[in-house]
Amino acid sequence: MNYFLSNRFTENKEVLSIILVILGILIFATVLFFIMGRIYPGDKVRELQQRTKSWWIMASVFILATVLHPSISFVAFALLSFVALRELASISKNVRPEDRRVIIWCYLAIPVQYFLAYMGYFNLFIIFIPVIMFIWIPFVLVIRGFTVEIGRSMSVLPVQLMFTVFSISHLAYLLSLPELHGFNAGGRGLLLFVVFLTEMNDVFQFTWGKLLGKNKIIEKISPNKTWEGFIGGFITTIVVAYFIRFLTPFTAIESLFAGALIAFGGFIGDVIVSAIKRDIGLKDTGNLIPGHGGILDRIDSLAIAAPSFFYFVYNLYYA
Amino acid sequence: MKWLLMVFYYKLLMRPFLGIFVGVKLVNSENLGQSGPVIIVSNHNSHLDTMSLMAALPFNQLLRTHPVAAADYFGGSWLKRFISRWVLNAILIKRTREAGDLSPTDQLIQFIDKGHSLILFPEGSRGEPEEIQDFQKGIGAILHRRPQVPYIPVFMSGMGRILPKGETLLVPFDAYVVVGNSRNVQHEGVLEIVHEVKQAILAQREQYQHINKL
Repeated sequence: MNYFLSNRFTENKEVLSIILVILGILIFATVLFFIMGRIYPGDKVRELQQRTKSWWIMASVFILATVLHPSISFVAFALLSFVALRELASISKNVRPEDRRVIIWCYLAIPVQYFLAYMGYFNLFIIFIPVIMFIWIPFVLVIRGFTVEIGRSMSVLPVQLMFTVFSISHLAYLLSLPELHGFNAGGRGLLLFVVFLTEMNDVFQFTWGKLLGKNKIIEKISPNKTWEGFIGGFITTIVVAYFIRFLTPFTAIESLFAGALIAFGGFIGDVIVSAIKRDIGLKDTGNLIPGHGGILDRIDSLAIAAPSFFYFVYNLYYA
Repeated sequence: MKWLLMVFYYKLLMRPFLGIFVGVKLVNSENLGQSGPVIIVSNHNSHLDTMSLMAALPFNQLLRTHPVAAADYFGGSWLKRFISRWVLNAILIKRTREAGDLSPTDQLIQFIDKGHSLILFPEGSRGEPEEIQDFQKGIGAILHRRPQVPYIPVFMSGMGRILPKGETLLVPFDAYVVVGNSRNVQHEGVLEIVHEVKQAILAQREQYQHINKL
């Protein structure tokens, strides 16, 4: 049993406490929507209940993947990238039928990228997709020999890798960061910090938007997003970041910056995926998670927030 | 013995492989839970179609459900014959008939009368990816003679990208298998029944487009 549990986890009070906070929020939401459902039954409350149920599943999977042995966490994140890439490749109508076999190369990049993250080969890790795959994929396309609209495939395929593999692998790399003297929570703490804040930022933006939302922020892409929701979420996320900074080595000021970065990055990722979906006429990218659309709809915010946060903490403390 | 082999193959190997690795998503697959005889009809784009349907069947129906396949293709080599018999549990029908042969319809009705179920692809062959071709008359002929046997319309999407006809390399993509309710035919004539079944499958396609909010 001890082999599977990360040995740092059992003596890690910070990580344990944030997990209790997550469970507390979920229990609170479940009870709240249960009571609301009794008082005002209807579709809206049912959707909220459905969403909470999905959050339970996602949170449990995520917490398990974080507290278990690191190698299990890496496999879990690689799987997440794989499912997300598969979803993006499946809904994308910008890729030609002739590119079927080239997509195999994209899938093969996943184990390589996560292996580099696992071994902590930082220099290769940061160039493998943005440099090597950005050359390799166009080269393979050229070898395949279908030149009609090849430029589109040359740009779309590597960008899909960036969005689903490069970005998410930064979450895994957090677990490979060396230990810092006097900072107990470690990579696991950083991982929980960024994922918890990104997801809470989504929830905060949604909630503030529902409560106060009036002025559309980017109507053509996401008609439900408002300035009130964005600013409300932004401020709330920064405040929460300040209070859970015990998961990080940050000073108070740095934690506020990290919160702002995550809130802003989360928003960017969200609207990028929304725009992609609008381009192909889908509302949700898949139906793997009931009430939540597909995997992409859940990790869209993380896709930008995770690397932003990673380089922030890396350059401050690990460079 | 054969049952164990099929359970091992479909439930332990194919089901997780299709679900996690390939990305086949079953919608309303509980509709397949009915005990036979029943005729499962689906559009056809890939060998994975049969695999996905067989893997979604309940345990007790595995041995009693037969995909219908062309004898000239699946009886071709010893390997294909082995797979048809021991893994697919298929009924092989001849596309060209010689004198004295049982007609394919009679052959299939024998199985139905024994209480077994069929998986039928009325398009006949896998065709171009993501296109539905004209239906063959066989399904109409069977349901015309056995109108009390219910059929289950199934629409599949995406299979033709994962493993299209003529390709050997499997590429994971999201695919959907939308299973309809079992129902009885409303018409009597063979051609009307064929038309009705096709409309039922197209109705599942609309269901699928609704799921994806297209």
